[in-house]
Amino acid sequence: MTKILFTDKLDSCVERWRSAGMTVIGPVQRANSSVYDAVKSASELDLNLVLTDRSIKELFFPQSEPMLRYAITKAEINTDEFLPPSGPRIIFGARACDASGLAIDDPLFGWDYKDEYWFQRRNESVIVTIACTKADEFCMCTSLKLSPDSTKGSDILLRPLENNKGWQVEELTDRGREAFKSVADLLQEGSDPAAATVTVPEKFNADACAEWLKNPENFESRFWKEISARCIGCGSCTYLCPTCHCFDIQDEGGSFEGIRRKNWDSCSFALFTMHTSGHNPRSTQSARWRQRIMHKFNYFPGKFSANSCSGCGRCTRECPVDMGITETLQEISKLSQ
Amino acid sequence: MSIEQQYRTRAKELLSAGEVKMVIGYGAGTTAERRRPIFITSPDETERLVLDSACIANLSGYLVTEGLLSDEKRVAVFLRPEGIRALNVLAAEAQLDPLQVVIIGFDLPKGELKSLQGSSVDDFTDLLGALKESTPDVDGRELLEKIEKMSPEERFAFWQEEFSKCIKCYACRQACPMCYCRRCIVDSNQPQWVNTSSHTLGNFEWNIVRAFHLSGRCVECGNCDRACPVNIPLRLINRKMAQEVLDSFNHFAGTSKTQEPVLASFKKDDSETFIL
Repeated sequence: MTKILFTDKLDSCVERWRSAGMTVIGPVQRANSSVYDAVKSASELDLNLVLTDRSIKELFFPQSEPMLRYAITKAEINTDEFLPPSGPRIIFGARACDASGLAIDDPLFGWDYKDEYWFQRRNESVIVTIACTKADEFCMCTSLKLSPDSTKGSDILLRPLENNKGWQVEELTDRGREAFKSVADLLQEGSDPAAATVTVPEKFNADACAEWLKNPENFESRFWKEISARCIGCGSCTYLCPTCHCFDIQDEGGSFEGIRRKNWDSCSFALFTMHTSGHNPRSTQSARWRQRIMHKFNYFPGKFSANSCSGCGRCTRECPVDMGITETLQEISKLSQ
Repeated sequence: MSIEQQYRTRAKELLSAGEVKMVIGYGAGTTAERRRPIFITSPDETERLVLDSACIANLSGYLVTEGLLSDEKRVAVFLRPEGIRALNVLAAEAQLDPLQVVIIGFDLPKGELKSLQGSSVDDFTDLLGALKESTPDVDGRELLEKIEKMSPEERFAFWQEEFSKCIKCYACRQACPMCYCRRCIVDSNQPQWVNTSSHTLGNFEWNIVRAFHLSGRCVECGNCDRACPVNIPLRLINRKMAQEVLDSFNHFAGTSKTQEPVLASFKKDDSETFIL
């Protein structure tokens, strides 16, 4: 016997969580694009998507976030700090790749300076992941040693029932148990079998790629120019990526008054490494693409012992010129044989 | 012989004869429905070229890649009429010499592949002139008409919702053949003329700056609209601006390589007295 959450009870759960002061968030359609956003009822949720267009990271690391307001007068300098809006949240219907992405970024945001914007939101959020029963051609979690039912980064894992009438509930963390305690009477004990999770074929050998990337001889390989020849240098892959985390700090306003903001930035942009002198150490798009791959599969694992990629496939799915991590690592897998 | 096979043969001949150093065309993509830009430099590789109704992207933007074109290094490129118009605009704005480009022209009326005769921009003058007189085929015309009928407040609310999705990835800019500025105004940061933040104001600033900058230059190839990862209907803005420019100045971008840029040229006898 396992705990079952039946679909027809979900709306009552949403109501229960909301009345307990939690913000309920899930995959929704917003103006012809799918995103994780707050909902008032379960009917707003779109739980049939393979994956939202936009990743879960923006709930923790928004694209633009005010940090402080400054005002400079002859007499004094005043600063008012902004802190992220606080309050408990439950994210219902995350995918395993998105939840894993958050866990991948935790050490990054906490290894020396503890990013309070990230961790306040992390500590106040319950992640309820639904195991995938379908995938598309771009999904590649299994190539990153994850799976459609990975528990990494999740507080609760739900396994869809075979009859499609609900989910088996696996409580993974205390935070998850706590959130589900409040809806305990809405769950039922049952023996309904779970549907099979989807099989995502392995597309490349991440270990072999890592070895190839670590070899300094390959840094100047012609491969980088060839694989990125069609890259147009937009930031779509980095901004949709659940693990890309680079940001820029900008003062918006005048010299004497304004707001300091933390905005997403992308290594795909020429401006990313542009020096004040005009010199750019990554002067070509191929050098920028190499950096993105090296960062994710060489430097990041060297520091944090995990690839900075959870295999969601959004980079390829949305790329205007059909590039992405999958193709690059498939080609590197071939080279490393 | 299929058009695809004819064009592969033509690409092979152009490369073998040394007439071009590179062919920019379409190849198979990640999925059966996808095509991706490919760059062929050897006659042996021309079989990789694909040409069918999925070859929609306008490839002309690659032509302004630094150091690509020269008299010794001509490049052939697969272009639809919109791409040929883009080539004309780029030539008119002195971004490239169209004699260094060999056009492999095709069209997809109602999704049916059709070859276009000619290889130089001047060979397509009649075709492009006729396009000016025709009613453009716009995906989403109903939505456009709906927006036209809205009150200014409703219209503002519509675009506010659309632009609120913008993440400033600049895929629209990077995919656009007309966005060739070495340093875009939004990347000019001393001072920072346009906010980099993708909050509502910043997103309005960016999308409106871009719409104005493209007015009279946009050839409506749809690259920006397809590139947008959050599906903002950018084509509708460009359609609106193109219509305004046509109605106000009788100007249709990209009909010839010497066409004067409509918003960047002036005449002494201009009817607007404030200009002088």
